[in-house]
Amino acid sequence: MSVNNRSDHHRIRPRKRTAFAAVVGAAALGLVLSACGGSSGGGESSDAAGGADGGSTAVQNANIIVHHQNGEPSSLDPARAEQGEKGEAFIDNIYERLLDVGPEGPDLIPSLATEVPTQENGLVSEDRLTYTFPIREGVTFHDGKAFTAADVVYSWERAMTMNLPEGQASALVDSIASMRAVDDYTFEVTLNEPDASFLYSVVLNPVASIVNSDVVTANGGIAADTPSEWMDANMVGTGPYIFDSWKRGESLLMTVNPNYWGTKAKADVRWDITPEESSRVLALQAGDADIIDISPSNVSDVEGVEGVTVYENGLLLEPIHLGFNMRSDSLPSGDTIPSDFFADKRIRQAFNYAFDYDTYINSFLDGYGARYSSYIPQGVFGYDPAAPVYNYDPAKAAELLQQTEYWDKGFTVSILVQAGEPEFEGVALLMKDGIEKLNPKFRVNVVNQAETQFDENLGADPVPYALWVKNADPGADPHQFFDPLQHPDGDWGTKHGMRDAYENPDQIAELIDAGKATVNPEERAAIYSELQKLLYEDPMWVYAAQEGLAYPHRSWLNGFVINPLWRGPQYEYYSKG
Amino acid sequence: MQVKQYLIRRLALLPLIMLGVSVIVFTLTRFTGSPVGIYATPNMTPDEVAALEERYGLDEPIPVQYAYWLGGLLRGDLGWSGVSVAPVTDVIGLKMAATLELALFAALVAIIGGIALGTIAGVRRNKAPDHAARFFSILGASTPTFWFGLLLLIPFYLWLDWFPLGRSTPEIFDSIGHPTGLYTVDAAISLNPTAIWDSIRHIILPAVVLGFGSMAIIVRMMRSSMVETMSEEYVDAARAKGLPEKLVIKRHARRNALVPTATVIGLSFGFLLQGAVAVELIFRWPGLGQWVTGAILSGDQATIMAYVLVTSLIFMLVNLAVDIAYAYLDRRVVLGS
Repeated sequence: MSVNNRSDHHRIRPRKRTAFAAVVGAAALGLVLSACGGSSGGGESSDAAGGADGGSTAVQNANIIVHHQNGEPSSLDPARAEQGEKGEAFIDNIYERLLDVGPEGPDLIPSLATEVPTQENGLVSEDRLTYTFPIREGVTFHDGKAFTAADVVYSWERAMTMNLPEGQASALVDSIASMRAVDDYTFEVTLNEPDASFLYSVVLNPVASIVNSDVVTANGGIAADTPSEWMDANMVGTGPYIFDSWKRGESLLMTVNPNYWGTKAKADVRWDITPEESSRVLALQAGDADIIDISPSNVSDVEGVEGVTVYENGLLLEPIHLGFNMRSDSLPSGDTIPSDFFADKRIRQAFNYAFDYDTYINSFLDGYGARYSSYIPQGVFGYDPAAPVYNYDPAKAAELLQQTEYWDKGFTVSILVQAGEPEFEGVALLMKDGIEKLNPKFRVNVVNQAETQFDENLGADPVPYALWVKNADPGADPHQFFDPLQHPDGDWGTKHGMRDAYENPDQIAELIDAGKATVNPEERAAIYSELQKLLYEDPMWVYAAQEGLAYPHRSWLNGFVINPLWRGPQYEYYSKG
Repeated sequence: MQVKQYLIRRLALLPLIMLGVSVIVFTLTRFTGSPVGIYATPNMTPDEVAALEERYGLDEPIPVQYAYWLGGLLRGDLGWSGVSVAPVTDVIGLKMAATLELALFAALVAIIGGIALGTIAGVRRNKAPDHAARFFSILGASTPTFWFGLLLLIPFYLWLDWFPLGRSTPEIFDSIGHPTGLYTVDAAISLNPTAIWDSIRHIILPAVVLGFGSMAIIVRMMRSSMVETMSEEYVDAARAKGLPEKLVIKRHARRNALVPTATVIGLSFGFLLQGAVAVELIFRWPGLGQWVTGAILSGDQATIMAYVLVTSLIFMLVNLAVDIAYAYLDRRVVLGS
């Protein structure tokens, strides 16, 4: 089997003529035509058509940062916010956690706790089960209530009691044995078992945000297994921003917290909900938007526009993958494969060879993407740049499939994909293309479904499809990827039947468990290196690509920076003018 | 039949029709799957999904679920809007006001422009104005709203900065009261010139884009209707009486030509509501269209059902108004016969 090292973060961006560019061209033509009868219109039109930004270079809306978003939160309650969803990014500006990560690098920094617990500073016990957090004094909530260690206990217990499946309470529930406020300014938590990923996967999680017990009690309190309608739409935290208002489908506003304990934010922030991408691009060009959400394939529309800077640094920590389901007993009616079709390692390897990774990154991600290894994204501890990855090799794919009975028999299989997500649809289409090219007897159907149906199908057990495309939930620690995605007894391991498909499931399970329990960074890295090699040989996913992080913003926005570990911009670092 | 009686009869039928619509809407929506998807995430276990279904009564048989929903409907509870994270009834009024305002302005553009251009084209048949109107209406009927919106935004928003995106400037919008929910009307009531200008500036471009397609159809209808009435004997008779041509057109020809056009106007209001979906997305107009698009993409059934019910109701009321307008425009029309 050929082993190829991945190319570095791709930066080849073919300049393509997008639909948006076509509209600009047509509009320019229209204006030129309409200006034919005028006296001086032609010159102005031609300047504008050259990509000018409406002529305004003076800072617009000086005291407020306007971020045009492609969607809005489904909840503002830390106990209910879904992973990777808009609510998380808003929550991170209003609420705080005990620890945080700064603008650069993955290192943890103190937040509502004044120190990061380690064994060296004595804040992690010898058995690595008890963590002690010294709590910051003099912090107040936005309503003036003083913050103490009791609030940490209240907030975490609240999330664990509500235990909403749509939220991320399981991070707390699965890890924590007990917790207590030792005194007003000391919080102590004891884990079920040693967990090297605890600080990243639990303490940094939005579900561990500190909420205000007074306002929760005054607005319905805590009920088990029940969301809080009030907390879904209101926030009283301790963060650099104060929640102001939410006009549904229109905008959300947060204002600067003048009493913030740390470095104060410089400008208020408004999220304008603009679902249509072309309109977001226009708003940025016109200077009405300071930052916009954009899909990688449209970044070239704003590159080179006067007054606009594209921040491109790093990669999103939520790799895009295609899953192999090896225990699907109720496949779509057209599928001819048996339920354990993908239990054959050669077929999984063949699918990995049949996917055109470079075309995917260069066309569907417009160059904003990179390969990742099995299964750690670049930028997360343990990622081994020397680990092997699959490259597009149709001959190798054909060779592997020729060794199976299906080369002569042929097969039909369906890939489930969420509609309206070009990055995911691209994976399915390229996979279809790659496989169908190998043999006319092979057929791959791409099934597009609305988010609701997609989620419902993916949530079913067993999943009624043998292949599906999505991205992983973002994580900061390798265990957050290996446990749910590769462990034979993990979430997807169980659902997909990995234990019966792995050549050596116990070895994989032991290594993943050892990775969780090992604290020494070198030893831990070695474990993950080993895993990346083993999982290359025995792949459970097609490891398509990691999306690049690209944020177009007005150049008058100073200090723009994004840490890939953040769930969105942390506006307190930015200023205008 | 008297207008009043006719109105009462039609309004009495309305609840029955709406009940039928509700059955169809509910059944069709349930065909797309269980609404639990709006709350579920792919990582949930089947037990967790089952807990969610129990929480929202989705484990009950479909007719029972319909009865719950209908019961809520009668109490004024349209369910929970997943996309808005609020009860549907809290949100729908605001969305409806935004869309109605846009549709009314678009209708104004379509009706005034359509009748005027159609009249001129009919009177000056096969002359330059007629050809120009034909070209204009073909353009209007065949230009996709989505594309036309972007085409106007680039010069008028991006380059010239005459008309902004969105429905309002937030600070100005918040500075006045909103008794009707229609920004232009509220601004006029407040007598605040800044707000009046702000509301007009924001609505012009989306209203023109939305109204353009309907205007094109009204132009064509009005033209052919005018051509027909202009050749009627009573028009000749009016001319023979020595009436000036302007009066002949205004009093005799145009009024009669308006009767068939009124049907088209009524129908086109439905198209305006439909077209508002694309226009609202492009212009970030926070109305029903943008709302339901989000709901469709995420499978938020309560929102979709509320949208269909409300637009059906509006459509029926507008058509009722058109029927009554017939009686006013043509005394020969007998309502309810």
